[in-house]
Amino acid sequence: MTSKEVDPITLQVIAGAFDTIAQEMGHVLYRMSFSSIIRESQDLGAGLFDADFNTLCESDSTPLHIGSIPGYLRGIQDSLQGGEWHEGDIVIHNHPYYGASHSPDIAVVMPIFWQGELVGFSANTAHHVDIGSATPGLIIDIPDVFAEGMLFAGIKLYEKGQRNEAIWQFIGHNSRMPKQLQDDIEAQIASVKLGARRFIELIENYGKETVLTASGQLMDYSERILRSRIAEIPDGEYYADGFMDDDGRNRDVRLPVKVCVRVQGDSVEVDLTGSADQVPTGFNVPFEGSTKVACFFAFRALLLDTATSEEYVPQNEGSFRPIKVIAPKGSIFNPEFPAAAEARFTQCNRVIDLIVKALSPVLPERVTAGNSASLSFVAYSGIRPSGDYWVFLEVNEGAYGGRPRSDGPDAIDNLMCNTRNNPIEDLGMHLPMICDRYELRDDVMPGAGQYRGGIGVVKAQRLLTDGSITHENERHLDTPWGAFGGAPGAVGKVEVYNTLNDGGVKQLPAKFSGVPVKAGDVMAFYAPCGGGFGNPLERPPEQVREDVLDGFCTVEHAQRAYGVVITGDEEVDLAATNELRAQMQQAGA
Amino acid sequence: MEAKREMTKIGVDVGGTFTDLVLETTKDGTSRVHVHKVSSTPEDQSKGVLRGIKEICQAAQVDPADVKLVVHGTTVATNITLEHNGAEVGMLTTRGFRDILHIARHKRPHNFSMQFDVPWQSQPLIKRRNRIPISERILPPSGAVDTPLNEQEVREAAELFKKRGLSAVVIAFLFSFLNNQHERRAKEIIQEVLPDAYVCCSSEVVDVIREYERFSTTAMNAYVGPRTSRYLRNLERSLKEEGFDAELRIMQSNGGIGTVQTCSEKAVTILMSGPAGGVIAGRWAGAMSGVNNLITVDIGGTSADISTIPAGEIKIMNPRDTYVGDYPVLAPMIDLATIGAGGGSIAYLDEGGAFRVGPRSAGADPGPVCYAKGGTEPTVTDAQVVLGRLDADKLLGGDLKVDPDLARQAIDEKLAKPMGLSVEQAALGIIKIINNNMALAIRANSVARGVDPRNFALMPFGGAGPLHGVALARIVSANEVIVPPAPGITAAVGLLVTDMQYEFTRSVLAILNDADQTTLDNINVHAEKLVQLCRERLVADGVPPEKHRFIRIAECRYQGQGFELRAEMPDGALTLANKDIVMENFHRQHKQDYGYAFEGSLVEVVTLRVIGVADVESLEWPKLGKANGTGIDSAFLFSRPTTFDDGQTLNTPRYDRGKLMAGHEVPGPGIVIQHNSTTLVPPGCTARVLESGNMHVTV
Repeated sequence: MTSKEVDPITLQVIAGAFDTIAQEMGHVLYRMSFSSIIRESQDLGAGLFDADFNTLCESDSTPLHIGSIPGYLRGIQDSLQGGEWHEGDIVIHNHPYYGASHSPDIAVVMPIFWQGELVGFSANTAHHVDIGSATPGLIIDIPDVFAEGMLFAGIKLYEKGQRNEAIWQFIGHNSRMPKQLQDDIEAQIASVKLGARRFIELIENYGKETVLTASGQLMDYSERILRSRIAEIPDGEYYADGFMDDDGRNRDVRLPVKVCVRVQGDSVEVDLTGSADQVPTGFNVPFEGSTKVACFFAFRALLLDTATSEEYVPQNEGSFRPIKVIAPKGSIFNPEFPAAAEARFTQCNRVIDLIVKALSPVLPERVTAGNSASLSFVAYSGIRPSGDYWVFLEVNEGAYGGRPRSDGPDAIDNLMCNTRNNPIEDLGMHLPMICDRYELRDDVMPGAGQYRGGIGVVKAQRLLTDGSITHENERHLDTPWGAFGGAPGAVGKVEVYNTLNDGGVKQLPAKFSGVPVKAGDVMAFYAPCGGGFGNPLERPPEQVREDVLDGFCTVEHAQRAYGVVITGDEEVDLAATNELRAQMQQAGA
Repeated sequence: MEAKREMTKIGVDVGGTFTDLVLETTKDGTSRVHVHKVSSTPEDQSKGVLRGIKEICQAAQVDPADVKLVVHGTTVATNITLEHNGAEVGMLTTRGFRDILHIARHKRPHNFSMQFDVPWQSQPLIKRRNRIPISERILPPSGAVDTPLNEQEVREAAELFKKRGLSAVVIAFLFSFLNNQHERRAKEIIQEVLPDAYVCCSSEVVDVIREYERFSTTAMNAYVGPRTSRYLRNLERSLKEEGFDAELRIMQSNGGIGTVQTCSEKAVTILMSGPAGGVIAGRWAGAMSGVNNLITVDIGGTSADISTIPAGEIKIMNPRDTYVGDYPVLAPMIDLATIGAGGGSIAYLDEGGAFRVGPRSAGADPGPVCYAKGGTEPTVTDAQVVLGRLDADKLLGGDLKVDPDLARQAIDEKLAKPMGLSVEQAALGIIKIINNNMALAIRANSVARGVDPRNFALMPFGGAGPLHGVALARIVSANEVIVPPAPGITAAVGLLVTDMQYEFTRSVLAILNDADQTTLDNINVHAEKLVQLCRERLVADGVPPEKHRFIRIAECRYQGQGFELRAEMPDGALTLANKDIVMENFHRQHKQDYGYAFEGSLVEVVTLRVIGVADVESLEWPKLGKANGTGIDSAFLFSRPTTFDDGQTLNTPRYDRGKLMAGHEVPGPGIVIQHNSTTLVPPGCTARVLESGNMHVTV
């Protein structure tokens, strides 16, 4: 874009308009949609893109969707039905080897034409509850990408305004939840139509040249800010590594994750070389739509932290440009066809967590101690008396590590995940399930520190009829680390037991596929707890006492981890505390 | 038309800086209206309120004993939430679910942040130590008792609260919207042990499905309740002591007024009492001109409240959008958007070089640079002064002296020079950006909800509103601007033009498409109970039954959706013959809000809502005298150079609004000045003064 610069005032006006359009698109999509994974969890993304697939704006919804759509657009370009865009087309696309983030995240894309010329795209992605995969809702232990369910590459739902009934009918016969799937696609269509209309209005008001020039400048602006923050980090290579429990089938094989962050000037490279080879199950990560997006997220959250910086940086392509991502072909972060690559979230979150760890020596004011950096994604399913399937996807939360100025938040979505839970009462009224417990864990303590780690949650769901459960989850083995003298957090666990018979409690691995369950079976998920930040002996005794009063900390843990002695009437014994802390200091030194 | 009764009533609205009052006294069929402003007394609002009431009575020469009604808009409950100084509350909740308030909806307030705060964890409405799990269990979908209430545990918890000296307790059990017998029994036990405590059950405060939102609302009620009710009762008593025999009524967030008793019990209903008055007054002022499609914009020093009123209907926010701070509160609230844009909004260049205005504000202290109270960052007010739209010697009727040179210097140094613009260009940029921010909020509140602003008039008020009116109307394509008679005290006027209003809700889940008579009967029974609750309240307020009106609403969704929309129910009982009306109303609403309706899908009723309304006699603004062919020269003050949005600077005449008569027209360029407010009439526009006191400006 070589034309004249848009003045700073008009630029601000157009920036505001872009942001509002993206939020409006997201709003319509989640308010209208049917599956709880879209409407409550807001597992969706929506925005506008220019004709070169650059992001102009995106809704403030789930971070993994933010930044993934350009990959879809490039994939559509390579697979487009008929090879050409026409006015009135609407495309559906989810092929992981054509740029998709993963197959359940179906994109709906509408080209935007202005006076006969293609000027951009209105697009969104949303996680659908069932696309006819090998097991209901979620999949892990599958042989290849074809077990993921329906794969759409560049298929036109509408062609020149004409509805393609064949594809709708096909979809209707290839999902366990066909009506929900179709209605949710309708909601996506309403959202992209709205975005396209708003983009045209913007061009009508300000002229095509101004809008496109402004969008270029806004990208440059976001890029400039991120580069200036990267430049503040000393040049160098920063390493961290960890491992994943297993691939969901080969239980004894740990999967290394190695992260090298190379900072040079105002650019950064994330090199995942040395991480595990691709696995034979669906536990791989599509490179374009997920691996890269995870790395983009890490730097935005660390360097453009919206809680500590006052500036609003527009959500656009500019913030991706300074970041290069390397993952060798054939590795878990860049699998080769036809490897399945659906269950990819926990690996993404671990990459982010390890980027945080790698950079902590040089960004001590911006990082956290080890996070849960996992995800608990559960698919419950069964057959209703009518013979129809029911499938329910639930996202359970994690916890943050302690931070340089505050405790790690408890029971909250972690890193790239930011969904909302489903009201227990709404589920109880509509599904053959009942929640038996939903509160903070009290079987373990979070990482002690000057600022403690966040406490994970326990959620116990009981099935009232026979059914099956698939669980995509991690971190039963690799404990979230403590930082700067803080103690490590706690790993997660999954228990299954039956309330109708006394068969005892069975421990399950973090991820499992299509496990059949009986009426009365309960699955209890325990989330990992975050690591502590800073020396626990520097936590003020009064604050430790407050935690004891609130049950965030036991009297015993207060003494053992913090050296704080709490008396029988719940007061701090200051003399005993000082003495104990002195001893601990000495022993530690 | 029946003659107005002889009576005197006062509206008193407390804002952050000023307490605004309006008094209407009717005698021999004619009414007089007085307005007044006193400084607010933030440490105890009632001081300013009492002082204002006494002063306005004196000014109007009204005997305190003759005042029959005082309607109060108060921020007392809101301030408790802002200052985090509510009651220490105890909570009984279902065993296994102690942390519903701590977990909330497990969504972070920020997507891209590592150092974010989680307000409901760092500043909980109820500390975890005071949330006591109780053995009890009600099961869906029928509400059957699975585990009976353990009364011993309740008693022990009550004793613990007593030992801890707690004065407020909530009881919030899962599925209590299906069966509240456990909550009610637990309340009895708590009250036996703590007879003076402020105790409420979740099913009493808001009897609806979705545990977190219901618990949060109940917790908020107990958090603000004790102090709010103490404040209201003290004010009631003080008025009596000062010789006032008036009924005290409170503006609620839904725009209706309630009694001290009801607002004390359900303090969550007055959390948005403050901005509600403005919207109500906007509708009233529009009606004086026969205009019922309105966008109201109330612009103060730090923020702007924006609301859309289609066809004279004040919209109520979707219950899933009603938050106070970061806490969901399921209390009906007028649908308004508040954004950080006002006279004090600061203009600056951020580190990436972007030109920004607000939401940071210079507030009242130090205020804009031109106030010369130490402010160094240029604000919107500074821009208006530089552009010659606010006269340095006329702010607050000349009470506030300002220094235009300081404003000019600040804009030059901080903005104009770095951007290579002239001071005027930079000042115009400030105005353009702030107007655009407001326009985006207007659009989100109108266009995004299927409302077409081209059929709407824009009504600006608040001290700063009428300066922005025409520019905003142009950006959003509103068809004209209506400036109400007293823009600076509009919210207080709203207090005297609204109705008594009570709302009750109950979740009753049912699919309408295949509902049989038994299902409908169940809905009817619950709807009738809600009508009865409204009726009892109105009767207790002394409203005769013939004045009661009841609006029945079914909050519906397509089965499987998560968000309900309102569908009006027909009068009387639901029948197999008329249930389709509800479904049609829902389809229509869905189409309007989202642009699409799933006509073939199942429609599920989730919550019944009944609103009981009784009309209150409305304030009558005195009519202006007629111009009768006289010119506007008698209102002319002086002319000064003024810069308009298109960049041209013109010698622009000022007129005194108090001297403009019905039928007068002020051609643009012109400025109309009154105490506390200035209306800008750009070139090409014309302001027309109506008999009602409204001023219409073409756009």
